Amino acid sequence: MTVIDVSGLAKTYRTAFGKTQITALDGIDFSVEKGELFGLLGPNGAGKTTTVKILLGLTHATSGSARLLGRAVTDPESRRRVGYLPEGHRFPGYLTARQTLAVFGKMSGLDASTIARRTPELLERVRLTGWADVKVKKFSKGMTQRLGLAAALVHDPEVLLLDEPTDGVDPVGRREIRDLLREEASRGRAILLNSHLLSEIELTCDRVAVLRKGKVAAAGKISDLTAGPATGAAYKLVASPVEPQLLDAFRESGADVTAVNGHFQLGVRDVQHLNELIDRARAQGTLVKELTPMRSSLEDIFVDLIRASETDSAGPRSLGGADVVSASETDSSAGPRSLGGADPRGTKGAA
Amino acid sequence: MRALVANIEDVFREAAARWTLLAYFALSSLFIFIFAMAVNLDIVDGALAGAKIFGNTLNMRGAQVDVDKLVLGFETGFSGFLYLLGTFLALFATAHLVPRLQEKGTIDLYLSRPVGRVPLLLSRYLAGLILATVNIVYLIGSVWGIVIWKTRVVHPRFALAGVIVLFAVATLLALAFLIGVVTSSTAVSLMGTFGIYLFSAILSLHERMEAAVSSELAAKAINALYWILPKTYELGQATAATVMGAEAPARVSAALSVTPFLTTAAFGIVCLALSAWLFKRKDF
Repeated sequence: MTVIDVSGLAKTYRTAFGKTQITALDGIDFSVEKGELFGLLGPNGAGKTTTVKILLGLTHATSGSARLLGRAVTDPESRRRVGYLPEGHRFPGYLTARQTLAVFGKMSGLDASTIARRTPELLERVRLTGWADVKVKKFSKGMTQRLGLAAALVHDPEVLLLDEPTDGVDPVGRREIRDLLREEASRGRAILLNSHLLSEIELTCDRVAVLRKGKVAAAGKISDLTAGPATGAAYKLVASPVEPQLLDAFRESGADVTAVNGHFQLGVRDVQHLNELIDRARAQGTLVKELTPMRSSLEDIFVDLIRASETDSAGPRSLGGADVVSASETDSSAGPRSLGGADPRGTKGAA
Repeated sequence: MRALVANIEDVFREAAARWTLLAYFALSSLFIFIFAMAVNLDIVDGALAGAKIFGNTLNMRGAQVDVDKLVLGFETGFSGFLYLLGTFLALFATAHLVPRLQEKGTIDLYLSRPVGRVPLLLSRYLAGLILATVNIVYLIGSVWGIVIWKTRVVHPRFALAGVIVLFAVATLLALAFLIGVVTSSTAVSLMGTFGIYLFSAILSLHERMEAAVSSELAAKAINALYWILPKTYELGQATAATVMGAEAPARVSAALSVTPFLTTAAFGIVCLALSAWLFKRKDF
């Protein structure tokens, strides 16, 4: 079931007298399914926050459509089952944690008895039970962030939109938030995570979309984005002894061989090619100690992608196994391509 | 509905937490206290035989003043003072409602809930009006009670003055909301609203001003501004005329005509509608 559906979404900001136009979003598409953890990535100014703001009705789209749980985001009712944690949120400092949940619970339409029942549960989940009756102005950044999560969950939403949820949270707290988000996703909540912390996204999300200059530059499952190239594979080989003749033979077979810190990186055509190389090495008396497929981190993919946009606008680049789309390609109506089952619109073959 | 009630509650909780409510009522109470302690009247057979103001005996020179007239005169003067004090205090206590709502990090929290923007804004407006009403009722009710306690004279018309003060507050608050939506600044909201308050009072002399200017265009502009802007001076006059009733001189009772009320109401409605429209369209 698709709970967030964004199609051809565009936003152009105009200055006061309309002389200058800034394109924040240039026709993006993506969707998030029920129970899915979806990450929205991109450098500053890529359009991530604008996307989230449009989904919440904080900003109006110039064109395209965005739907939450089947309702257009222009309808306030679309937000009845949506929880949101904004970046840099400012809960009124004069409220206690308990009052904060009561105010925002009521604003989401909850009655007093439901709020009274949910409040201790949620405060327990975010480890703020002992702080229930302390004013928010006395909270640390991490505590405020955890309270924000509780406030986003107070009305038991089906969709969670989280903007930098681990901002200011210590490593233990971050892990707890990650666990909490996974738990919420396993309960069927769809979660859209907007974060600069790529390692967080990599550890938490199932799928991501990378925004660049207001367009979806790459999208798909993290495992696909970070996998080896689709036309080949890269492996880390630890073996000894390795004679120079053996490396020459590898290269002659078409393998890409690089020595790095006592091990070798092998770029091969396919598994058959890899096995041929290993057979040859073993035939020469080389002992294979370790052979592992190499995967890029999401950060590698992200940095390559952003650098690519600065230096190269030619055709699609293959980065870590998932195709990404250059700026020139996304200008067409075809939208971003992806391999390995990755599709920005999760309903179309992401599985 | 529950969400809107929560929003109104939040305004009161914020006013209490930020000392606004306390300052608002403390200033009103201070005035009431000074008034209660300052005036001591000696009334004999429905006439004022003697009076003390701030402990000093007033020299009556043997004359006996009709208490009814004395009370009427006092209440008329006080209603004018209340018109100024009530509107100023109400605006100071409520002008922040929109700018603070629109602050980054706050507006996101409110708009991400299933509440329409227009109801959200209007509930804040309503909360501001309730706050002002409570204060005006407190001010008028207390002074009225003290007058009755000290003179045994009951003039129900005095209470009606509060309705006109509240009408003026409602209009000016709509203007403060409009400026707040556009600028997101409490200071500008206050300056702009008080500026219009004073300027429109000056425009009550529009006929003389029109006669004084040499350009016909300028005269028309002054006339147009007079009709567009709220009639703050006339509303003050109307407050006094309401209290005085049949005793009011013709030039004062003229303010009780329907025109100043209609044009002022139109100004307020346009300001509120415009602020709601802009708030609805605004990107945060």
